[in-house]
Amino acid sequence: MELPAQQFRTKAEQAYLDMFEGARKALPGARDPFVSGLRSKAIETYARLGLPHRRIEAWKYTDLRARLTDVHPLLSAVGVPVGEADLAQALAAAVAGLPSYRLVMVEGDLRADLSDISGLKAAGVEVVSLAQALEKPPSWLKAVLGKVNPRDDDPVLALNTALMTGGAALRVREGVTLDKPIHLVQLDGTGEPASTVTRNVVVAQPGSSITVAESFGSLGIRGLQRNAVTELLVGDKAAIRHVKIEREGDDALHLSTWLVELGADARYDAFQFSIGAAVIRNQVYARFAGEGSALDISGAFLMRGRQHCDTTLLVEHAVPRCTSRELFKGVLDGEARGVFQGKIIVSPGAQKTDGKQMAGALLLSETAEFDSKPELEIFADDVVCGHGSTSGQIDEDLLFYLEARGIPEAQARALLIQAFVGEAFERVEDEGLRNAFAAASAEWLSVRLD
Amino acid sequence: MPAVQETVARVREIDVDKYKYGFTTDIESVRAPKGLNEETVRFISAKKGEPDWLLDWRLEAYRRWITMQEPTWANVVHPKIDFQDLYYYSAPKSTEGPKSLADVDPELLETYAKLGIPLAEQKLLAGVKESRVAVDAVFDSVSVVTTFKEELAKAGVIFCSVSEAVKTHPELVRKYLGSVVPITDNFYATLNSAVFSDGSFVYVPPGVRCPMELSTYFRINAENTGQFERTLIIADKGAYVSYLEGCTAPMRDENQLHAAVVELVALDDAEIKYSTVQNWYPGDKHGKGGIYNFVTKRGDCRGARAKISWTQVETGSAITWKYPSCILRGDGSRGEFYSIAISNGYQQVDSGTKMIHLGKDTSSRIISKGIAAGHSNNTYRGLVSAHRRASNARNFTNCDSLLIGDKCGAHTVPYIEAKNASATFEHEATTSKISDDQLFYCLSRGLSAEEAVALIVNGFVRDVLQHLPMEFMAETQKLIGISLEGSVG
Repeated sequence: MELPAQQFRTKAEQAYLDMFEGARKALPGARDPFVSGLRSKAIETYARLGLPHRRIEAWKYTDLRARLTDVHPLLSAVGVPVGEADLAQALAAAVAGLPSYRLVMVEGDLRADLSDISGLKAAGVEVVSLAQALEKPPSWLKAVLGKVNPRDDDPVLALNTALMTGGAALRVREGVTLDKPIHLVQLDGTGEPASTVTRNVVVAQPGSSITVAESFGSLGIRGLQRNAVTELLVGDKAAIRHVKIEREGDDALHLSTWLVELGADARYDAFQFSIGAAVIRNQVYARFAGEGSALDISGAFLMRGRQHCDTTLLVEHAVPRCTSRELFKGVLDGEARGVFQGKIIVSPGAQKTDGKQMAGALLLSETAEFDSKPELEIFADDVVCGHGSTSGQIDEDLLFYLEARGIPEAQARALLIQAFVGEAFERVEDEGLRNAFAAASAEWLSVRLD
Repeated sequence: MPAVQETVARVREIDVDKYKYGFTTDIESVRAPKGLNEETVRFISAKKGEPDWLLDWRLEAYRRWITMQEPTWANVVHPKIDFQDLYYYSAPKSTEGPKSLADVDPELLETYAKLGIPLAEQKLLAGVKESRVAVDAVFDSVSVVTTFKEELAKAGVIFCSVSEAVKTHPELVRKYLGSVVPITDNFYATLNSAVFSDGSFVYVPPGVRCPMELSTYFRINAENTGQFERTLIIADKGAYVSYLEGCTAPMRDENQLHAAVVELVALDDAEIKYSTVQNWYPGDKHGKGGIYNFVTKRGDCRGARAKISWTQVETGSAITWKYPSCILRGDGSRGEFYSIAISNGYQQVDSGTKMIHLGKDTSSRIISKGIAAGHSNNTYRGLVSAHRRASNARNFTNCDSLLIGDKCGAHTVPYIEAKNASATFEHEATTSKISDDQLFYCLSRGLSAEEAVALIVNGFVRDVLQHLPMEFMAETQKLIGISLEGSVG
């Protein structure tokens, strides 16, 4: 991406720089040279790039600079009391009650009272709160933080590195296979509009196998601006199944970046479910660094009103013999807008690459919009790559078939919509999660039926 | 795979070093002074004896152009073009005067004969009456001759050079020129509007089916000369016209600029079929020389049920930057784009199409095949968009690429924008599109799997090639043989 130097700054662009200056000395790890070095470099990158806007190709359909007029102050944890009922309220009961090793972060702060840290440790997973770890990072964290599939052309990522205050860092020991998912819950507070900048780091050492679920929910804060980054390192012969459930408040801005790197013979299966927030940008940067690995990044989004959901993927086949799959399904109602940008890069020499990508959208109203840009950039000849993209409304023939069998129209429509997104849910291996998604989409549809 | 082998062999055949149209013609020519300023624009306009409105139009474009920046978004790399180091007008001296075949310099006729373009009014294929083609030959900046004019006139079809049309049919030119590609459109189109020299003008009156294929043959000859032709084709209500365009240029060490604008207007129930075989000099095997082909082509389906079809075979040019587009404005109108783009040596191709659905019940179809060999880069870039009111818009897109060798690149950058729920868009760029049923059918009749694949693939490609008029098909088939097998999106 070629970016021209910023000529002037908008109010919001300047606000982030001021926020950094103001918080600099109080940010976790301010006295640690490694962490402060990381932050200074990142804020320089941000200052150079500014907020992304529609003239930047990767943000063509999501003009963040225009949408972000006011930047809210950084959220500081004030210890909101949270109970199981609040969790169920914010995440939906099926997700909150998911059998898992649960780690709950409220306002970026890892809450021991709601988390099962000891269970995880006993199972062979090291867990540290990022806020604490940044003060004096252990050597394993230093080796990965900001180094997993790194980028210096992404201002949202740079802002996160500069301002990250909370989150969790996990290291799964070699050969460990967990019996249930690790559930990272991120909840905001209840107060005034604020920004929250968090990062999770997951390192799966060689031969390990885990499921990580990340869920984002709202306790009722107004106008939350979230910038969340997850770094995942999948070691040789390791496997990570990664699921994200986004149910932010109606007026939230949700910026999410995943940085993924796979070793040799590794496996990564990811799924993103988005239903909340006003503006969502899900970006995934994944890179094959070792041969013989495979990944699947899929997802579903259900949007209505004036919601905007942008999914932007970049899968880099840097080495031979790797396989990638992507399947995204979106349902758009009202004036909602869905964006899918998927790019597969096959580097010179990355022979025997197999890359497939599919995006489909169902438009339920005259005013919904879907923009799709599936890109291929291929520099090797012995490859099989393909992409597909469709958009349309509910098939009248299918509807007629169901109605002819006595199913009322509204129900028939709901059934077809569920079947459409259901195809994506099938990519999720964990049955509990799969059911949770089906329940959430049914609930979303019931609002429509009323 | 036999199919792949055949393709590989054919692509090698059209290797850059074997460019057979690389000769130059020694002919005395008149040139505008080097460089571009208002005087150049006035010079060109005066040379052509243009009316004031056209000069003003050119000057407005020029004044706009000097404020514009060259676009950088395309996936091509080239040194910055020095627009002051070019001749913007070059014409063979002898063509000034009445344009009848007898007046044409024999040197020129010989040049076209060498290129295989007969300018004499004759039947191309003995016994086939329909196969006659009317040719407008454009040499550097001017049209040297247009054949079959009288016969076309009988049918009411106007086929002449744009500069002639400005004199003989100013009302038509004034009405349609710049109505599809406005002078503000883009950097190269604006440049073209300021300095365009010649090109073809076609008007087919209501209800007339043009009795023969029309064609223009473009030839760049002079050194350091940019060619800026402008083509304007209007099919009035219920009319039909098929138009072909061919291009060649001599081998030269320096890069030459070709920035053309083509505008098509199809009114109610009209159909325009526009075919291009572009074989500009692609540069030598080290990537030296060759034409920069920066072209703006756009068709406007202005009336209901109008149809515009673009077919292109792109084998030449050092750099191609070209997106023949359709604006589907009329209800029920249809746009088609069939493309075969082959790049070899150090060629760079960034080509594709835009289908802009504005009217109701509009449909479009895009079939694009890219083949990259050598050190070349081949990009498909396309836009399909349906606007709020384009209900029941329909698009099908299929783009396949084939890489031959590991030093080249093939890229696909489609943009799909649906703003209307009843729009149905399908886009695919896949390899395994051979249906199992077809394969099974062939296998059950005793063909080996390889033969079956080759047969199916060849049949599929033939289907695309058949969108070319017959006169060009033979030439094109010689130029390329394509297979899908082993291709990537």
